[in-house]
Amino acid sequence: METENYNKNILDARKSSIVITKGCDGKKGGICCDSNSVSGSVSQRACVYCGARVVLNPITDAYHIVHGPIGCSSYTWDIRGSLTSGEDIYRNSFSTDLQETDIIFGGIKKLEAAVDELMEKEENVKLIFIYATCIVGVIGDDVDALCNMKSSQYNIPVIPVKSPGFSGNKSTGYRMACDAIMKVLLPYRGKKKRKAINILGDFNLAGEMWIIKNYFKEMGIDVISGFTGDTSYEQMIEAPRASLNIVQCAGSSTYLANRMEEEFDIPFLKVSFFGIEDTTASLIRVAEALKDEEARKKAVLFCSKKEAELTEFLSLYHKNLAGKKAAIYVGGGFKAISLIRQFKAMGIETVVVGTQTGKKEDYEIMEGLVEPDTIILDDANPAELETFMREKGADILVGGVKERPLAYKLGIAFCDHNHERKFPLAGFEGIYNFTMEINKSINNPVWEFVS
Amino acid sequence: MKSKVEPLVNLNINPCKMCMPMGSATAFYGLKNTMTILHGSQGCATYIRRHMATHYNEPVDIASSSLTEEGTVYGGSGNLKKGLKNLIELYHPDIIGVMTTCLAETIGEDVPGILNEFQEENPQYKDITLIPCSSPGYGGSQYDGYFSALHAIVSSIEMEGTKNNLVNVLTAPISPADTRYIKAMLKLFGIEAILLPDLSENLDGEHDKEYNRLPHHGTHISQLKKMGGAKLTLELCSFERKNSVAEYLQNTYGVPYVRLSLPVGLRDTDAFLKALSDISKLPIPEELNKERGRYLDSMIDSHKYNASGRAAVFGEPDQVYSTVRLMCECGILPVVCATGAACPELLKKVAPEIEKLRNLYLTEAYKIADKADFKDIEAMMIECKANVMVGNSDGRRIAEDLKLPLVRRGFPIHDHVGGQRLKMLGYEGSMEYMDEISNYLIDTIETSFRETLYNSYYKDTLIDTKEMEVKPMIDSREEEMKRKTLEHPCYNCKGHKFARIHLPVAPACNVQCKYCVRKFDCPNESRPGVTSVILTPEEGLSRYLAVKEKMPNLTVVGIAGPGEALENWESVKSLFEQIRAHDPKVTFCLSTNGLKLPLYAEELARLSVSHVTVTLNAVDPHISGQMYQYIRFMGKEYTGDAAGAIMVANQLAGIRLLIANGILVKVNIVTVKGINDSHVPEVVKVVKSLGCFITNIMQMIPVEGSAFEQVEPISNKRLTEIRKECEEIMPQMYHCQHCRADAVGTLTDDKSIELKGFLQEEAKDSQPVKTHYRFAVASKSGVIVDTHFGHAKEFYLYDYLNGEVRFAGKKKVEQYCIGEEHCEEKEDKMESIMNAIKGCNGVIAMRIGMEPSKKLAELGIKPVNTYDMIEDAVKKAAAAM
Repeated sequence: METENYNKNILDARKSSIVITKGCDGKKGGICCDSNSVSGSVSQRACVYCGARVVLNPITDAYHIVHGPIGCSSYTWDIRGSLTSGEDIYRNSFSTDLQETDIIFGGIKKLEAAVDELMEKEENVKLIFIYATCIVGVIGDDVDALCNMKSSQYNIPVIPVKSPGFSGNKSTGYRMACDAIMKVLLPYRGKKKRKAINILGDFNLAGEMWIIKNYFKEMGIDVISGFTGDTSYEQMIEAPRASLNIVQCAGSSTYLANRMEEEFDIPFLKVSFFGIEDTTASLIRVAEALKDEEARKKAVLFCSKKEAELTEFLSLYHKNLAGKKAAIYVGGGFKAISLIRQFKAMGIETVVVGTQTGKKEDYEIMEGLVEPDTIILDDANPAELETFMREKGADILVGGVKERPLAYKLGIAFCDHNHERKFPLAGFEGIYNFTMEINKSINNPVWEFVS
Repeated sequence: MKSKVEPLVNLNINPCKMCMPMGSATAFYGLKNTMTILHGSQGCATYIRRHMATHYNEPVDIASSSLTEEGTVYGGSGNLKKGLKNLIELYHPDIIGVMTTCLAETIGEDVPGILNEFQEENPQYKDITLIPCSSPGYGGSQYDGYFSALHAIVSSIEMEGTKNNLVNVLTAPISPADTRYIKAMLKLFGIEAILLPDLSENLDGEHDKEYNRLPHHGTHISQLKKMGGAKLTLELCSFERKNSVAEYLQNTYGVPYVRLSLPVGLRDTDAFLKALSDISKLPIPEELNKERGRYLDSMIDSHKYNASGRAAVFGEPDQVYSTVRLMCECGILPVVCATGAACPELLKKVAPEIEKLRNLYLTEAYKIADKADFKDIEAMMIECKANVMVGNSDGRRIAEDLKLPLVRRGFPIHDHVGGQRLKMLGYEGSMEYMDEISNYLIDTIETSFRETLYNSYYKDTLIDTKEMEVKPMIDSREEEMKRKTLEHPCYNCKGHKFARIHLPVAPACNVQCKYCVRKFDCPNESRPGVTSVILTPEEGLSRYLAVKEKMPNLTVVGIAGPGEALENWESVKSLFEQIRAHDPKVTFCLSTNGLKLPLYAEELARLSVSHVTVTLNAVDPHISGQMYQYIRFMGKEYTGDAAGAIMVANQLAGIRLLIANGILVKVNIVTVKGINDSHVPEVVKVVKSLGCFITNIMQMIPVEGSAFEQVEPISNKRLTEIRKECEEIMPQMYHCQHCRADAVGTLTDDKSIELKGFLQEEAKDSQPVKTHYRFAVASKSGVIVDTHFGHAKEFYLYDYLNGEVRFAGKKKVEQYCIGEEHCEEKEDKMESIMNAIKGCNGVIAMRIGMEPSKKLAELGIKPVNTYDMIEDAVKKAAAAM
């Protein structure tokens, strides 16, 4: 496909990150991914701080203080759909709002005054996270030292989150967040174990953590803590007692699972709750890992009941959706893979697929799942998405809200699969929502007027 | 639960502003064929794009120099230059706005210098205008960034010297729809103008047949170059700014200027149209006079509704100021005016307006603040009793909390559609704006007046009906209690067809009765205190569920030791909670020595425990004391009379609390010859007076190893005598079977020994059968086979057994291939993989190389290449075995 269109719209520096026909597997080095964004290419990626904020922010009773100029705090204030059943302090965005003078004389005094004031005026502060943004290190603020000092002064965890935007990409931010969580948990090492699990990598978007917890309740499996959807400090510190961790969003939380295995001797399982197959297999596997025959029986029964309930619904929608073409551009490889498979089940072929932070192996799997001429791209920009969606005649784009207007301008349907959505996509409930979401947009009358 | 967070001095809580690059990027969107690049981290561009895309519902492309750690330390000019090249190649712009971020400014990047170098190094790009714009995140809000960009544009572009007849029109931040209004007015008066910026189309585009990713509307560079030769500048901004473009054009090129507020409301629209009339020397067209008349008419129509309005107005300074002016004309009292930007002039300018209206209404306080966050705004709103909010979407959380309407104007509007089309300029725009606020005020009254008036004035004797409602509830509770008692084998001799299970979750005890030895495994004995195994609450639940399946007549779950239930409170509580989650009906009962009963009696009621048995051997402290070797209470050990006194006091207080909470109490009295045998009737009298249900007078059975080992038990005859005597006082239990702590079944048919095998098996791991296949699966996701054999850091072990696939665990390996260059010398690492998968019948991976495949085959392990779902892959592999 080295057409004129291709050459016009694709930067040379980006060509190694785009696979036109098979070749992710790396005979010639494979797809180029997991690297820094190409400057000036208009990447859709965010930064380290964003990654850290995504993972930590759902902790409901923590004070999340963003140390830096106002933007970082403003742009991430309560825009994600993480829900709470308890406190809602996390829905506030606290910022030291650094000004020019702070840049010159340092911002640490301001930060210290902020923590002191918080401790003085707020009741019941249990946990504080301090996110160090881009310029904090550059102006010489020693956030680590301040956190240590304040932790011992007030006898609560005051945890630094090293997240200057330039220090890597979003995945680096995930790691920094996981390190921060481990700092909170480490003092609780050696607690007595019990037969119960923690759910990692679920942020309770649109209540998804609740849905998954309900399944486990149905199976008689006890969930101690989520990471981090709808989780409180008290729940978190009980987590070391679990006998098993399950990891839903592998991209953000496998590192945490590894560290918890090292420190607390909790083995982990990766799971997925997107689609019937994944949900069923995951629930059964958790019961098997716990060697809980009773729970396994319940899971098998429960899942087959749910699947049966879905049959009629799915066949109804299949008529409406089969034969359509999808483009996928999402954050992580895991989600992209699962989407390809869900689309397949609907009879929809994926013609373009890309991610912001996928790994080489993710791309190889994608390649295995799609037709040989499907476009696969890493860290795509709007020009590429536009070119390939048009070229391949995609009917719908699954992505985040940044990509939505582009799809619409091109006359393509859209489904939001990002953190801002207000409908659950996980579990059996999610299958209804996802299918209807796709249908609502793809089979909307407005497209009749666009030719 | 809503958390209460107080406004803080040293922290901004919920910002009512964004940072400078946001405003700068917006301003550049008003120029034709123009792209922007942010010199800084990747995230800044992405965040700004995300916010603009949701507000304008347009694709927003802003490049980033994607500064890395290296660029931060050694300077980012390389990144920026590369970024410019890529941007040009992709978008072919005429103008590039190069905006700084807090990071670029802090590390001291000389952007104008870098841009000069870039153009010297790349003569092919000499026709592209590069505009450096200083916009550090800490330098101000998006409002400041917007003006910073306008100034940068005008001061970077080389102006043509010749004079022309054009008028420069500079606007404070307004919506694309309002920009279209300005353009329409200029056209109406025949004024040829240069708009800076012109957002009318780039940020509110039509659905074109062909999508053009370069913003190709707005003011063209050829127009911008004429600004220095214009005859006049009209600056539509209420605030004098240091970097005013109008002043710059006057000082540099001698272009005179007029500064007006945005044409919002009657007075400022009048002034704007008069200015246009003056410039064009044309009268104001009749149709505009009619529009004015209609607006005035609508102001009168809604003035009384408006008079109930107490508004909180927030956002960018111009938007707040103009809104306040409009409100003060049509009778809505702004009680909170706030901006997140630093703008001390706001107070001076809006205070006289509000003061005037306040004096007319003879009413309350108001607050004006700049540098405000939403926490401040919320506090001021509560203090000043605001009843409507007017500003951007970020006010929605306060609106939700305080249940107030929010009329959306300004930036950002990302929770509604059409932010780009919201109007407030001109008579019509003002009318739409006012109508929206008025209608919300009307709605508020309309939807609440019935309830408000009802609550204020309607009085009735509600008390009687309430009493009538409560009564049946008590009945049903009594009914429930009756049923539970009838089905409880220990409380009712006719209850013997019902089964009970005692779950041994309580090992610890806080007293040592002289007649008791707690033993763990003695299946030949059947006495309280004896059990085969201690269960965790979870195991307790599984045992309950397993037994319930086999014994449908199981109606009672009890905890009878082997220790003291209340001494093992956490386990007991957890067990009851877990079982209750599965079975809302089953009866909970519990036995206790009563020492800790006052602490937990109410908790027991909360856990819906309906029956409690208290072992109370004496009500006389001296007698009671002789029954115990020691007791442990509040961390201390007591013996003799002291122990007795504490026991009796707590037991009786506890029983009172249980009965007050509606729990049925049975009292067990262990009768010991020579100690309490003649005291028993006294005990029965006391418990009768407390309201207990039944007493169970038992013989003490001497146990080997206990203190009363040598004491002879009372005779059956004597026991019957005592029971008969006491029956005169209250009902007696005759059918006690001295159950074990893990008893299962009906009273006369304890199945605990018989079920032992079954109960133990349930706790044990399922044993793999010998004739099965085991597969090692290379998977990273844990859902599908997605990993190369050589890359696997761990294997998922799966058993295939008669068509069923079972997860059997994970096995870690040391990697043997960590990239091509290491591969050969790490050949020996094969060993560790082979170790990990030893004993498997097959290995399933996404790819297995030739060499490893051979080695596997030698070891009799079948290699399988696939990328299926794990369960499916295992089934297929097994079928192929």
